[in-house]
Parts: sequence; structure tokens; C-alpha cells
Amino acid sequence: MKIAALTSGDGYFEDFEVGAIIRHARGKTVTEMDNVLITNMVMNTAHGHFNEDAMKKAAQGIFGQRVVFGGINLSMVIGLAAQDTAEQCLRELGMDKIRLLSPVFHGDTLYAYTEVLEKSEGDRSDAGVVRFRHYGVNQDDKLCVDAERTVLLKRKSYWSQR
Amino acid sequence: MTTSENTVARLKSESKLRARGNRYEDFSVGQHFVHHWGRTLTESDNMLFSTLTLHYNPHYTNAAYAAAHGHPATPVNPLLVFNTVFGLSVEDLSEIGGPFLGVEELSYLRDVYPGETLYAASEVVAARLASNRPGHGIVTWHTRGWNQRDEAVITFKRANLVRVRS
Repeated sequence: MKIAALTSGDGYFEDFEVGAIIRHARGKTVTEMDNVLITNMVMNTAHGHFNEDAMKKAAQGIFGQRVVFGGINLSMVIGLAAQDTAEQCLRELGMDKIRLLSPVFHGDTLYAYTEVLEKSEGDRSDAGVVRFRHYGVNQDDKLCVDAERTVLLKRKSYWSQR
Repeated sequence: MTTSENTVARLKSESKLRARGNRYEDFSVGQHFVHHWGRTLTESDNMLFSTLTLHYNPHYTNAAYAAAHGHPATPVNPLLVFNTVFGLSVEDLSEIGGPFLGVEELSYLRDVYPGETLYAASEVVAARLASNRPGHGIVTWHTRGWNQRDEAVITFKRANLVRVRS
């Protein structure tokens, strides 16, 4: 198996230019299935994510309906950005400055944008470190997610012929 | 009233709520929580999570590809590791709070593979009343997750709105 044939021809360390802003091609409508399934799967016990009745009746309720778990909003936006920023990723190193700015409800659609913040050569001849800032925007142009993510990306010079 | 209605009426009037979750007043800086349950992550968890979130890095969905990069199995998507450790912490930290506001300084410390079990614990690092949201405080915790061999796998700081009791 030739590894490089399984992914896009770009997305390598050399392909990113600091300051560039990428608009990712696909969006995703976040459904009840996504929210309830992943919330329950990771054993998040806050029933504001899976009890519609309680959310409608809550006296202090600020939403009036189930709200999508913020960890899913973040994961969905990173996922939407992944095809352009994670296909050549050898290792996720970390995230920082994650902000959840606007709630997401069932039926809302998320789109992702990525800004290239920083590149560092690191100590590996086959890979380098890139810091991205990912943005998640909904169908009404509201910013829902803002997060920095640092990854170890393959170098094209080493991996593209393998 | 029918028998069923009588039963429901009795349940509602005589039962005592076994409450879950903590309020703002329950948190003090330095306080430590070891969270419940633990969670063994499976191959299907990893596949389902990675595909539902459109996270198309073949490391998480193609065993042969992962093996070609030196992995003994498909590594678990780090975002699933984050969500699982977060999920285990919710009852103690934020179950009856409000929305989760943000995360700082998240580091992935070690690969996780299917069949491994994650545990979580947190320490309160800050607590203050929210100036723009009456009835709520903002609490920040340092949460860490580790595996069945007591090896650290993830660490992060999270802030949440938490309801005050009074």
C-alpha cells in the first residue's frame, strides 16, 4: 500500500503559509442524533443536552430546548477543518483559547474556517509543527466556536512519495 | 382518579429528590474531585465518533494505515479522549450549571488505543461570581485524564457558568 495515495496531495507542512485563511468546503447540520448520541456516549450527564421536557419547563431555562454539548460543537468544527488540516497529521499536540460563543441547537448548520497562525520546524526531518486558529460559524453567520489547535504535520519532502 | 393517577400523585407528593450535581457555593479553590465510573474506549466508539464529526484522518479509521505509521492499533481520536474525560467530570463540576465557556492549555500527553480505560479528576483553580449573569458564578477547574496504567493522557483547564444556590 502506498500511504500517500490515500489522502489529498496537499495539507502537508510545506503547504501552509502563516497568515492564510482557509474556508473549508463542507458544512454539517448538527442533528439530534449527533448531539444525543455523542453526549450519551461520552457519559456527559447534564440532561440539558438530552431532556427536551426539562429544558422546556425549566424556570431559569435560557434556551427552552435541548442545547448541543459544547464539546461536540468544538469537535464538529475541528472535524470540518480536518480534511484540509488533519489528513497529514501525525499527532494532535494540543488546543488552547477555546471559546464557545453562541449556543448550537438541533438543526443548526456549522461551517469552518481556519487561520494559519504559526509554523515551527521542530526537531524532526519528516514533520513540522503548525498552530491553527479554527472558527465555527452557523447558518446565520454567528461565531459559535473559536479555538487554537497545534499539530505535528508530515513534510511533503519525506512522506509524499511513500 | 384512576389507580394510575393515584400512583403518580403519590409518587410526586411523597418522593424525595436524590439531587445530582454541585452549585457555586460547593466549590472552593484547591478542592479536588475524583470523578465517577471510568470509561473503556472501544474501536466502535472511535470509528463512530470520528465519522460523525467528519474527522477524516485515516489514523483513526484505517487499521492498516495506522500500522504503517508504527501504531499497534488505530489510535483513539484525541477529541474523543477529550470529550470522554470531560463527560466523566460533568456530574461533579457542571451538571446543573450553565453552558461551558471555554478551555485553555489542553495537552495530549499520550496515545490512547481501543480497549484502554480512561479515568478523570479535577481541581478547582478559580471561582468568582459572574458580573453579567445574575445567579451564576464562573468556576475554572484543572482536569486531567489517565489510563488503566496510571499514565497521564490529557490535561486541560475548563471554565463554566455554575448556578448559585441562593
